[in-house]
Amino acid sequence: MGVHRPWISKSLPLCKLALAGIVLINTQTVAHANPKLTNNLNFNINSNIAKISGKVVDEKGEPLVGVSIRVKGTTTGTQTDVNGNFSLDGDSKTVLIVSYIGFSTQEITVGARTSLTISMKSNATLNEVVVTALGIKKESKKLGYSVSTVNGNALDKAKESNVALSLEGRVAGLSISGASGGAGSSARILLRGVTSTSTTQGPLFVINGVPMDNTQRGQSGEWGGADYGDGISNINPDDIESMTVLKGQSASALYGTRATGGVILITTKSGKKNSGFGVEYNTNYQMDKVYDNTDFQKVYGQGENGLKPTTVAGALSSGNLAWGAKLDGSSVIQFDGQQHPYSATTDDYTKFYKTGRTFTNTVALTGGGESGAFRLSLSDMNNHAITPNSGLNRKTFNFNGSQTVIKNLDINVIANYIIDNEKNRSGLSDGPGNPNNVQFLAPNEAQSILAPGYDGTGHETSFTNDIYVTNPYFAAYKFINNTHRERLISSLSAKYSFTPWAYFQARVGYDNIHDSRVNIEPTGTAYVSGNGNMNTRTSQITEFNADVLAGAKHDLIKDFLNLDLSVGANIRKNTLSGTFINGSNFIIPYFYDLSNFPSRTSGNITRGPGNDLPGDQKTNSAYYTADFSIKEFLVLSTTGRYDSYSSIDPSLSKGIFTPSVSASFIFSDLTHINGLDFGKLRLSYAKTSNGATPYGNRVYYSIANTINGVNAATFSSTLPNLFLKPYTLEEYEVGTELKFLNDRLGLDVSYFSRKTKNEIISATLDNSAGYTSYYVPTGSIQNRGLEVEIHGTPFKTSTFSWTPSFNFTYIKNKTISTDATGGNIGLGTYRPLNATTAFVVGMSGPQIMANDYKRDAKGNIIFDATGNAETTGRIPVGSVTPKFYGGLNNDFNYKNFNLGFLIDYRYGNKILSATSYYSIFRGLNKMTLPGREGGVVGVGVTEAGTPNTVSVPAETYYQNLAKNVSALNALDGSFIKLRQVTFGYTIPKNILGTTPFNSITVSLVARNLWTIMKRSDNIDPESNFAPGINYAGIEGTSVPAVRTYGFNVNFKLKK
Amino acid sequence: MKRRFIYSCLVIGATLITGCTKNFEKINTDPTKVGSDLIVPDFLMAQAQISFSNLGYGQLLYQSMWSQALASTYDYYGNGDKYIYRGSFDSYKANLWNNGYNASTLIDEMKNLIKGKAAYNNLDNCGTIMRMLILERITDTHGDIPFSQEGQAKSGVFTPVFDTQQSIYTSILDQLDKATAALDASKAGPTSDLFYAGNVAQWKKLGFSLMLRAAMRLTKVDAATAQKYAEKAYAGGTMASIADNAKVKADYTNGNGNADAGSLLVTDDFREVRWGKTLIDYMKTNSDPRISAIAEISAGTGKKANENEVAGISTTNLQIGMPNGYDLGGGTTDISKAPGYPGTSPADPAVDKDSPAPVGKYSRPKFAVYDDRNRYNYLLTYGETELLLAEASTRGWNTGVAATHFANALNADMLTLGQFGTTSVSATDIATYVGAHPLNPATALQQINMEYYVETATVFNFIETWCNWRRSGYPALTAVTYPNQFATSIPRRVPYPVTLPSTNGTNYTAAVGRLTGGDTFTARVYWDK
Repeated sequence: MGVHRPWISKSLPLCKLALAGIVLINTQTVAHANPKLTNNLNFNINSNIAKISGKVVDEKGEPLVGVSIRVKGTTTGTQTDVNGNFSLDGDSKTVLIVSYIGFSTQEITVGARTSLTISMKSNATLNEVVVTALGIKKESKKLGYSVSTVNGNALDKAKESNVALSLEGRVAGLSISGASGGAGSSARILLRGVTSTSTTQGPLFVINGVPMDNTQRGQSGEWGGADYGDGISNINPDDIESMTVLKGQSASALYGTRATGGVILITTKSGKKNSGFGVEYNTNYQMDKVYDNTDFQKVYGQGENGLKPTTVAGALSSGNLAWGAKLDGSSVIQFDGQQHPYSATTDDYTKFYKTGRTFTNTVALTGGGESGAFRLSLSDMNNHAITPNSGLNRKTFNFNGSQTVIKNLDINVIANYIIDNEKNRSGLSDGPGNPNNVQFLAPNEAQSILAPGYDGTGHETSFTNDIYVTNPYFAAYKFINNTHRERLISSLSAKYSFTPWAYFQARVGYDNIHDSRVNIEPTGTAYVSGNGNMNTRTSQITEFNADVLAGAKHDLIKDFLNLDLSVGANIRKNTLSGTFINGSNFIIPYFYDLSNFPSRTSGNITRGPGNDLPGDQKTNSAYYTADFSIKEFLVLSTTGRYDSYSSIDPSLSKGIFTPSVSASFIFSDLTHINGLDFGKLRLSYAKTSNGATPYGNRVYYSIANTINGVNAATFSSTLPNLFLKPYTLEEYEVGTELKFLNDRLGLDVSYFSRKTKNEIISATLDNSAGYTSYYVPTGSIQNRGLEVEIHGTPFKTSTFSWTPSFNFTYIKNKTISTDATGGNIGLGTYRPLNATTAFVVGMSGPQIMANDYKRDAKGNIIFDATGNAETTGRIPVGSVTPKFYGGLNNDFNYKNFNLGFLIDYRYGNKILSATSYYSIFRGLNKMTLPGREGGVVGVGVTEAGTPNTVSVPAETYYQNLAKNVSALNALDGSFIKLRQVTFGYTIPKNILGTTPFNSITVSLVARNLWTIMKRSDNIDPESNFAPGINYAGIEGTSVPAVRTYGFNVNFKLKK
Repeated sequence: MKRRFIYSCLVIGATLITGCTKNFEKINTDPTKVGSDLIVPDFLMAQAQISFSNLGYGQLLYQSMWSQALASTYDYYGNGDKYIYRGSFDSYKANLWNNGYNASTLIDEMKNLIKGKAAYNNLDNCGTIMRMLILERITDTHGDIPFSQEGQAKSGVFTPVFDTQQSIYTSILDQLDKATAALDASKAGPTSDLFYAGNVAQWKKLGFSLMLRAAMRLTKVDAATAQKYAEKAYAGGTMASIADNAKVKADYTNGNGNADAGSLLVTDDFREVRWGKTLIDYMKTNSDPRISAIAEISAGTGKKANENEVAGISTTNLQIGMPNGYDLGGGTTDISKAPGYPGTSPADPAVDKDSPAPVGKYSRPKFAVYDDRNRYNYLLTYGETELLLAEASTRGWNTGVAATHFANALNADMLTLGQFGTTSVSATDIATYVGAHPLNPATALQQINMEYYVETATVFNFIETWCNWRRSGYPALTAVTYPNQFATSIPRRVPYPVTLPSTNGTNYTAAVGRLTGGDTFTARVYWDK
């Protein structure tokens, strides 16, 4: 207050600047008579007072538009024009203060120079311009909602095969969980909590302005299966320039239908104009090592009832049980009929897994001339998974080219072609053919005696009497589960600029995915009668988007009120088709081809409600965004979108309009607070909507297989909803962004409150009603949360800098309403089947529903007459989603060295652990040690209230406990992890000398190095077998967690 | 400029949108399925028939072993063999409930599609008979069930009331009466019919036979009604030969393989599921020629031989039924401790890493017959009908001559095994057996119901075996004892699915309130007093 900041009045909106630039050029006839002279920046100082002109560029030499230039100690100032040029009056003693948000402010004494080229140094933590919805670039300071950007260089050194996993811990509000299924597995991405009860929770990914398909290709269930990855897992991290997370609904409202889960914008790397020809080569090698989270007992060995097995049949029936005698070093018979030492083995399950190896090579060619630029990259990623005989190969070709074809008309072409081959996706959860059952061997069972997994006739050797527990070696080496994907994500856009402040853009985007999958249960599989089975399927998913966008900026009131308006329309069409061909019982054993069956069954892949994949759908949309800026400090924005969905009966709803409004108030422009460079308040409100699953509003009949030539038909057990309407999500957000001490310290805080309305819930029916589920539009979920991002540069010298950043998210989720009766919405379960997850009215979701100990009024556990613990009914015992989470990132730079590490954390969630169940049931868990000899007398009371005195044999007691008291398997999922460490060295140019290299950067990288804190015994707290919200927080029998180490070398060739 | 520009965009946008909403309906139509305009309603009948008849574990895990027709030492058969919780116990409990209602929903929808269309009169009435067949099995299994409001979610009934079994039986008998009367054999029958290929006369006989069976269920609780409808059924014309047997042939090639066979062919099941001692002992006492037609022991010796899915040895005097209640755990309930244990089938020294097969000398269901993935599943047979008529007439009701019906039944039951196409009893053996086992009025009920036991077991219709045991008390069974049992007497009922409290709580609670003994395995349904 009271401090006069004259330059503010001179800050003009961009388009105004452009106009000003033109005017300047036109009026400076003396100096600029010849446009070429302008380019040469030639002018003379004729006297003390002269025209000073010049050009402001960024580090890459690109002109900067709208840079504020003022003369120190005066009110005189100007801004650069569209070409980065400026001109003002001054003399040789004039000191110019050059400032631009996102760059460090400079003071420059003009001196005797006749021309000025001012190169601005970017200030990495302050990005002036961000890409917002629809690819519209806006000044970050003007945004009334929260947006976070992650630069590609945080993702491309220590790589994840699914790049989405690299975002974990980096962005406030963003929670990422991977499925423990090996390379290329899916990620569950939650922005601002569990947004809705539907399974399509993830954010929309938009790559260079065009939405891309992120369909999950199939996940494991409690009965087994594999994770077939998602759309984002195809993207090559080396091609990513940046990822921008639009968290709030105001930010993403322009995407309408699919924005309820938020939006992540991916900008891929591109060539720069006038950059010449460049070659960059990046090589990366990483190794994955299993780390053992188990802490099982090593006192008692294989067996039952406290006895060692004495026969082969006994060894088989106790193949999975550690209820035997005390380990004594004697010899016992095993399933293989051989004698083995009855002592704790060091040849444990971790020896079964290999060292994973991932080798990634990317070469990128870039070029740019006067009128165009391109980048072409070729990348090959070759992964050998820790699971034997399993891996992933991904080849990516990425082209990004832009060209000015005629004056003011720019064409941009982007093509991203991906060939992805996955060999033997690992089985997960409790299905047959899952090699990960190797994790449950008794302490005396050496894993290597299971090898090779088959006998002389090729038949699987079972190691237990449960043939559905496949021998891990047989599962790994004989089962086949391959997928092949070819994908082209392409876009073509043309942008015509009528004037520097108005443009028209048309864009077509097409994402075409072709998948094929082969599953073979091989000849000799124990649980398969006959010679084995083969399932194949092929599918094609496409997403087509065509959109037009017109944008203009104009001062409604000169130098006071500016309007930035964009209007557009979009047509989106998704298609899905696919067929399967299956056969059972190969005619000739070991020959795995579809021809080798007496007959085959085939058909369409089912889609629509109740299936993994949606059907064809189309959405037509029109939208606008309008930003009103009052001077520079107050921006009011509004967006509106009208969607009309093919999946909604037009007689019920023609379409739905969803608005958003937001405001950004830069109070630091009005008042001065010591040390505060920048202060902004944000406020926003938005409403978005989501359509319905296609084909959901009509009864269909499917033609079933004929039965001995007689025709048959069936229909879905899901009752169609004839009254489907879109549901809506409303959100309020308030936030502030503060920068202190020349941006040495920055703070960004948001509070949001969001609620869904009329969510279409699939409510469960009993079969006796005729259907097993039906839709009700009664669901509502609320999320309230706080997001904090702090970044700073506590130390900075010419050779050393430390830039930490910290983020924190607190989410309070609540299920407001479910179906008409307020019943729970059941989600998933784990294989022991004695606990589930569900949305429960009034509680944060999804809750684990389990049976806990039954206790008397004093809290004593009640035991029944047989001495076993009694239980409560199914009660909620905690949510699977964390209450708060975040990360701490640190970057240190010293001369040519760089050290970065990321710590992330998660608190307050529960995990429903099948590993815990099995470890108790099978006598592996240390809690099963007391009472092994002499029996267990449970501490507690009888029904009558007297102390329990009944002794129960340990095996019976603990097995009953595991089966009945499922709450024991709800573990605390909190953790702190050292997620990523990178240590890099850039070889100085003087050393490279005459080599062909411009620069070489060598980095040592590591991921998941150290679990600093966890509270879940025997498991990795992030273990998870499926990405869907229905299986969130449920784990068991999946690929173990790994530590990753490696190096990354980046070569840039001289131009 | 700007304004013109924006207008042009809006015009382009509006044009695109109006031009593209026209095909919304086409886009939102699943191209892989048909609507009610094109579907042939009869197709739903065939689907109901195959899914209702093809049970597998749905009857093997519980009823086959409660009735002691089969026995097993294997883990998850403990549910039936030993009355202990094993495997996915809760889902097993819901098996018949879900299977039944899924099938009845198909019939309900078929009836919806043809409602008010006179041309479908026969299909509609066959549908009623099919529906009664289905719902009778559900009520026999659980007691009070949704009946009058069953399958009406489409009309907004999401939580159907549970009707009392008494009222259900009244309605079943009444509906069968009307449906059989309405069938017109001069007009075409169902075009997709796995029972009778559309033969309406046979459907009529099925309707009366089912009426007879339903009537006879009530012998313990309502003899008057039982008599009324048994006589009505007899007068109307029940099944007249084994050609009238209600059965469905599985079709492995097209994805409808026999589910019992599929279950028994699982290595563990193949190795450890055996005919029960109760059944085989009774047949031996009678020198029943069916023994070698239904039973065999492994042709080889050792564990591997007992896992090889090949035919065994059917010689009658080698056949031994396995007692229920034993395991391979090595403890006091190990099969080797069973009275009369025949010893292991020793390891074959010629086979690498072979080991003895502890239950290898007990008889298993004959491979060629019961492991045939294209095998018939039987729902109701001529032989059963004749036995029920024999019992009715023994009770003094007007249903013909008991001895004739009994002889017809013995003859039919043996011939029915020949219908499998993979086994048979010779005509001589049949004649000898029928001649040697005339119906003796003093032991008529025992003879009739023990034959009912043998017949339903040998055609693998174990749910009927179990129902008739509950009704008639034959055979006299002794419950097994074993640690941690969920019932210490033989289960007479299956508890409701565990999901009901959350999906239809109020009506479930009311139904449980009417059960003496609660929602347990040992409570009794209405007709089982």
